[in-house]
Amino acid sequence: MTDMIKSSPKMSDTPEEREFELRAHIGAIWSGGRLFIGIYTFFLASLAFSYFYLRSSNNGLLWRPDHVTAPTAYGWTIYTLTLLAALMAIFGQSRLRKGSVSDWQTAVWVGVAASLLALFLQIWEFVAVPFYPGSSGYASTFIGYAVMNVMTIFIVAYWLETTVARSIRLNKELDGVSPQLSMHPSAQSFRANVASMTYFLGFVALASTLLFAMFYLL
Amino acid sequence: MTISAAGPADVKAVPPAPADAPKTTGNGWLSQHVGTAIVCGFLGYILGHWLGNYLGSAYPYIANSGQNSLAVLLALMFMVLGWLLGIGALNYPILKLTGRDAKPEVEYTGWSRYFRYNLDHKIVGIQYVVAVLMFFFTGGLLAMAIRTELLSPTVHVFSADTYIKIVSEHGTIMMMMASSIVVGPLGNYFVPLMIGARRMAYPRIEAFSLWTFVAGYFVIFSALFFGGFPTGWTGYAPLQTQAGPGMVSYLFGFAVISIGMIAAGFNLAATIINYRAPGMTWSRVPVFVWSIIATAALLTLASPVLLAAGLFGLLDKTAQTAFYVTEHGGSSYLWENLFWFFGHPEVYIMALPGFGIVGEIIPVFCRKPLFAYRIAAAGMIGVALLSFFVWQHHLFQSGINPDMRPLFMLTTELISIPTGFIFLVGMGTLYKAKIRYEVPMLFCMAVYFNFLIGGISGVFLSDVPVNVTVHGGFFVLSHFHYTIMGGLIFAFFAGLYFWLPKMTGRTMNKKLGLWHFWTMFVFFNLTFFPMFVIGLLGQPRRVFTYARDLQTLNDFSSIAAFCLGASFLIFVANLMWSQFIAPQKSPANPWDSLGLEWQTATPIPSHNFDRIPVIMTDPYHYSEVGAPALVDFGDGSPAHASSSVASSTDPDQ
Repeated sequence: MTDMIKSSPKMSDTPEEREFELRAHIGAIWSGGRLFIGIYTFFLASLAFSYFYLRSSNNGLLWRPDHVTAPTAYGWTIYTLTLLAALMAIFGQSRLRKGSVSDWQTAVWVGVAASLLALFLQIWEFVAVPFYPGSSGYASTFIGYAVMNVMTIFIVAYWLETTVARSIRLNKELDGVSPQLSMHPSAQSFRANVASMTYFLGFVALASTLLFAMFYLL
Repeated sequence: MTISAAGPADVKAVPPAPADAPKTTGNGWLSQHVGTAIVCGFLGYILGHWLGNYLGSAYPYIANSGQNSLAVLLALMFMVLGWLLGIGALNYPILKLTGRDAKPEVEYTGWSRYFRYNLDHKIVGIQYVVAVLMFFFTGGLLAMAIRTELLSPTVHVFSADTYIKIVSEHGTIMMMMASSIVVGPLGNYFVPLMIGARRMAYPRIEAFSLWTFVAGYFVIFSALFFGGFPTGWTGYAPLQTQAGPGMVSYLFGFAVISIGMIAAGFNLAATIINYRAPGMTWSRVPVFVWSIIATAALLTLASPVLLAAGLFGLLDKTAQTAFYVTEHGGSSYLWENLFWFFGHPEVYIMALPGFGIVGEIIPVFCRKPLFAYRIAAAGMIGVALLSFFVWQHHLFQSGINPDMRPLFMLTTELISIPTGFIFLVGMGTLYKAKIRYEVPMLFCMAVYFNFLIGGISGVFLSDVPVNVTVHGGFFVLSHFHYTIMGGLIFAFFAGLYFWLPKMTGRTMNKKLGLWHFWTMFVFFNLTFFPMFVIGLLGQPRRVFTYARDLQTLNDFSSIAAFCLGASFLIFVANLMWSQFIAPQKSPANPWDSLGLEWQTATPIPSHNFDRIPVIMTDPYHYSEVGAPALVDFGDGSPAHASSSVASSTDPDQ
C-alpha cells in the first residue's frame, strides 16, 4: 500500500500543498487497505457460495460420499500458522504503538516465517491430496480452497516481508528515530501501511477461521 | 489564494521539499518497453508449455484426459508473467522485497513513452485509447464475419463450428473491451484533472491495469489458435467443460482482464476519495466522476467473483475438479450464478460511464446547468447498488426456482427507476435549451435515442413471460446491442470528440466527424432494429442458419452492418487526418466548457496543475448571471463561470 509516485521534481510545492499531498497519500493507503479487504471478501465469498451451493444441491449424492475429508493434520497446522502470522502482526502493531520497533520487527519476522511455512504446507497438501479432485463436490471445492489459500498466504507473506524490510531501511533514513514517533512523511506513510496490513491480517484470520471450519470441521 | 486548511491537525512538521531530484535518464531502447515485453512473453510461453507437459505427465488423470490443458494454461500464465516482467510492471514489487522505496521515474519524451510502463495517468489514458480501439476493431471484424455468414441461410461461408467460435470470440472481445472503454482511456485521463489532483493515488497499479488489459487481449485472441471455444461470451457449462483447450484461453483471459479491472477500479476509487482538491466536496464532484466512482465500486466488488469463477473453470480444465460437472457432484448452474453475479453489474460497468460522459457534455452544448445534478449522482449510486440484486433474471430459463422469478423480476424492474432518473436528468437539461449541435453533442443525442429503445426493450425482457418467449433469440441480441453499443459506444465517441482536443491539442475535422456520426447512427439503427423483428419471428442466436423467409431482413441487416463497419473507417481517417496528416491546433477551450480539466494548460503539464486548485463551486453554472467563481489557482485570477473561458497558461495560445 505504498505504491506512490514521487513528486515531480519540477513542482515547487508550498508547505500547504505538501501537507495536502501527504494527507491524500495517507488517506489512499487507508482506503486502499479497506478496498482490498472488500475485493478479497467477494473473492472468498465466491468460494463459500460454491461450497454451500454444491452442498445443498448434492447432485447425484456426490457432495461428499463416504464423508471424505482433507488431511486434518495439514489443515490444523496451516490454519494455526496463518493465525499465528495474523496475531503476530496485531501484537506487533500494539508494540509499535508503544514505541518498540524491535518488538514489532521480531513479531513480523515470526509472522513471515509462519506464513512461508504455511505456504509450503498448503502447496504440499494441494499436490498430495488423498482423493481425486473431481470425485465429489467437496473434493472440487477443497481444491479451489487450497489454491485460494495459497494466494492468500502468499499475499500475507509478501506484505509482511516488504513492510518489515521497509522498516529496516526506514530506520536508517530516520537516523534511529522510531517511525512511531517521527513526523517524517516516510514514517507517516509507514504507519499507515502497517495499520492497513494489520487490518487485512485481522480479516485473513477471520476468513481463515470460517473457511477452515467449512472444509475441516463441518 | 493557496490552500490553507488542507492538512489535519496532527500533520505539522512536514519537512521542506527536497532539492530537485537528480535527473534520471533512461537507456533508450535498451530499457524495458513493449519489445522486451513481447520477447519475455514469448519465452514465458515456451517455458510454461514445457513445464505444463512435464507436470501433466506425472498425473495419470491429466495424462489420460486426452488433452493437456495444463500445458496451455501454464504457457499462457507464464506468457502473461513474462509480458509484465518485460514491460517493467514487476520491477517495483520485486524491489519492495528489499525494503527500498521506488526509484525516481525516468521521464521519457517523444513517442517511446507510449510503448513503456508509464506512470503518468495522461499517457496511460492515451495508451488505453489505442488498446480499446485494438479490441474494438478486432471484435468489429469478427462481427463483419458473422453478418457475412448470415447473408444466406443455405450458402455458408463458415462451418457451423467455426461460426459459433467466431461469435464467441466476437462477444468475448467486445465485452472485455466494453468493460474498460471509458474507465480506461477517459477515466484514467480525466478523473485527476476533473477533481483537481496532480496524480493518481496508485499510478503503478493504474499502469498495471493497462498492461494486464493488453495481456488479456493476447490471451483471449490466442483461443483462435487453440481451436476456439463454442460457448458464446457467457461460457456456459456443460459446454465449457466439453470444449477444447481454446476454453482455457477464454477462462484465463477473463481472469486476467478481471485482475486488470480490479486494479483500475481500486486506483480510481482511492484517487477520487482522497485526492479531490480542497473545496471539491461531494456535491461539487463532476457527474462524470460520480459515474466513475460508481463504476469503480462495481469493478472492485464484482470482478473478484469473475476471477473466482474463472479459477474454478480452469481447475476443472486442468486439475480435473468438478465444479461445473453435475455428474461428479458439481453443477453447471454454479457457473451461471457466479458468472452472472459478475455479469449483470458488468452491464452497468459499461453503461454508467457512458451516462457520465453524456451528463458531462450536454450542459456544455445546452449552455444550461445540469438539471437535478444530485438526482443524477443518486441515480448512479442506486444503479450500482441494485445491479448486485438482479443477476438471477439471466437464469429465468435455466434452473431457477420458479417461485424466485417474481422477486428478480421486481428487482430488475426496480433498477429501471434510477436508470430513469439519469435519463430524465438529461431530458431536463435539454428542455428549452438552445442546443449547439456539435459532433460530441450529436453523439450524446444519439445515446438518448438508442438507449431509450434499448431500455424500454429491457423493461419488457425483465418480465418473465416475455423473457421466456424471446429468450435466446435475436430480440435479446438487439436489446443489448442497443444498450451497449447504442449507449456506451456512442457515448465513448462523444467523449473522444469532446476531449481529444484537450488530450492531443489538435482539433478533429468537423466535416468528417459529422459524416462519421450520421453514418454510424443511421446504419447502427438499420442494423439492429430489424433484429427485434427477426427475433420476434423466432431466429435464435448463435446459429448459422435460419428460416428462409427471414433472409430479406437478415440481408438488410447485414448490408447495414457492413456500412456501419465502414463508418468507423471514417473515424480512423479523421483521426489520422486531424492528428497526424494535417493537424490543426485546437483552441484552449474549444467548447467553452466550465470543466476543471479545461482550465489547465494545453499541453497539460506532467503534474497537471502548477498550484493545487481550490474549488469554489460545481462546474455547471452555464449562462447564470452572477455565478460564483469556479476555481482559484492561487495566481490571483480565479476562473469565473460568466467568463467561461480557460485560464490557459499555454504560452502558445
